[in-house]
Amino acid sequence: MSNEPIVSLRNVTKRIGRATIIDNVSFDVPKGEIFGFLGPNGAGKTTTIRMMVGLMSITKGEISIKGKNVKNEFEQAIRHVGAIVENPEMYKFLSGYHNLIHYARMIPGITKERINEVVSLVKLENRIHDKVKKYSLGMRQRLGVAQALLHNPSLLILDEPTNGLDPAGIRELRDYLRYLTRTEGITVIVSSHLLSEMELMCDRVAVLNKGKLIDLKLIQDFIGSNNGAQTFLIEALPAEQALAAILGIEGVEDAKAAPEGLEVITERDRIPEIVAHLVRSNTQVYGVRARNQSLEDRFLEMTGGEQIG
Amino acid sequence: MVNLILNENMKLYRRWRTWIMVGLLVTAVLFGSIVEWYYDDKNAPEGAWEEQITKEKLEYETRLNDPELDAEDKAYIQELIAINDYRLEHRIRPESGTMWDGINGSAQLVILITLFTVIVAGDSLAGEFTTGTIKLLLIRPASRLKILLSKYISMLLFGIFLLVILFIVSVLVNGLLYQFEHVNLPLVSVNGDGQVIERNMAANLWQTYLLNGVSTIIFVTMAFMISSAFRSSVMAIGFSIFSLFAGTIIVELIQSYEWSKYVLFANIDLSQYLSGQPYQEGMTLEFSITVLAVYFIIFNLVSWLVFTRRDVAS
Repeated sequence: MSNEPIVSLRNVTKRIGRATIIDNVSFDVPKGEIFGFLGPNGAGKTTTIRMMVGLMSITKGEISIKGKNVKNEFEQAIRHVGAIVENPEMYKFLSGYHNLIHYARMIPGITKERINEVVSLVKLENRIHDKVKKYSLGMRQRLGVAQALLHNPSLLILDEPTNGLDPAGIRELRDYLRYLTRTEGITVIVSSHLLSEMELMCDRVAVLNKGKLIDLKLIQDFIGSNNGAQTFLIEALPAEQALAAILGIEGVEDAKAAPEGLEVITERDRIPEIVAHLVRSNTQVYGVRARNQSLEDRFLEMTGGEQIG
Repeated sequence: MVNLILNENMKLYRRWRTWIMVGLLVTAVLFGSIVEWYYDDKNAPEGAWEEQITKEKLEYETRLNDPELDAEDKAYIQELIAINDYRLEHRIRPESGTMWDGINGSAQLVILITLFTVIVAGDSLAGEFTTGTIKLLLIRPASRLKILLSKYISMLLFGIFLLVILFIVSVLVNGLLYQFEHVNLPLVSVNGDGQVIERNMAANLWQTYLLNGVSTIIFVTMAFMISSAFRSSVMAIGFSIFSLFAGTIIVELIQSYEWSKYVLFANIDLSQYLSGQPYQEGMTLEFSITVLAVYFIIFNLVSWLVFTRRDVAS
């Protein structure tokens, strides 16, 4: 049972008019992970999230949350979900506390104690009775997190949660999401256009482009090896001589000169042999280090370098 | 469901806007009542009304002798005479110069209640779209139908709340102005069988309120429909208020066409059947209620279909 995915999408398609916004997307989100959604603008991240939480209808296919179909059993499915869809817009004329009361009333079994607990969790105790219109953006974001956690959801869905947050706020949110998945076993689905953030935050990433799922991998696999081969940076002098030497070695897929040294694509196992060969060819080796390709590089590669925004 | 209504009420009554409306209504009642009281003849002796009524009765009788009078007017004048006879016989004075005159006058302010309720209703749903709060509202275990219904019910409760305020304030202020004299004055009127009867004044007042309430409900329903179709408070409020005022003018213009009796605004004022002069010959209370019910169902069906089916984008 524990391996049962918390969210599962089966051949999900969304059409608006003639345009196909989401095209036959299927994937599962395992329990307890932070799952990231990546894609350029208009790739369909927000649409997918809105279909999950029932804000948009599903043209074809099925989405289920904890085994409950979002379309037919909406109330049971959404019960386990806490979400922020884009900016957390709250009722500005109410206090933060009354906003929470408002959402608490919509789900049975939320006590006053739970509300206070969530308030202290997001560190809003001092300002919770102020009107929301007096809150800063960061405070609103925290109130948004509070409303999403109110009913102890097993799934937290955050659409662009870092929008408008300063670096400190982003870091706070990231640590907090980590804390939630580790200690409470909550699953988090998050979409963001900040790739470096996703890299630090997520366990697994799905890449969407033009409504299609083009890749789904653990984050290590994304930034790590490329079919076993990795990029290494070798500092050796004289550079031309070293390059010529390396290109002759078996198992080296590619090598080229870069400002910092030589970029060599090869398998890890080949490194000692390459270094030995360089030494034999009378070049001086100063250092070898593996260079992880960032998520951004991989991402641009996959989506054809379209602008990310 | 109760919780959803509590939520809507919280969003309604924890806003200054709502209490400004209540304040305006109270001010209007106070102003109207005090002005009317000020121009009242307060020096008239207690029995003066009998003299007045006897004089009126003589006038009516001379008019009855007019050979050109048609049957309808004749019947109407005979009713007035019967009422005056009844008053003289049972020593029941007319409302004018008592607290009830001011209270019944204040009942005209029901139009203000319709106006305020429509403003609030137009904003209740569309406002959530404008501010984006609709997203957080709809991702809870409550169906869209329940959310729509809770908003609708809270609007009706708001209308009733304003009616109660209107009633209490107008009774209190007029009562105080006239020292609660003639509180138990009955309403003398002629029933369907041509018999003169006494009725409770307050009960009659509520009947007037509720007949006007019917039009409030229809306008609120319309505002809701526009809200859910266009998601714009401005549209919903503007269009509803426009029809509230322009509706009567429009039906005046098209009165000569037979089909005009099926137009919403020709039926919305049910008090036309109390005064006995319907918009078109042959229209009955049952007819109007049926027409209103059809519009009511269509409006609600449209709001429901549009609101529950449509994607929340933006």
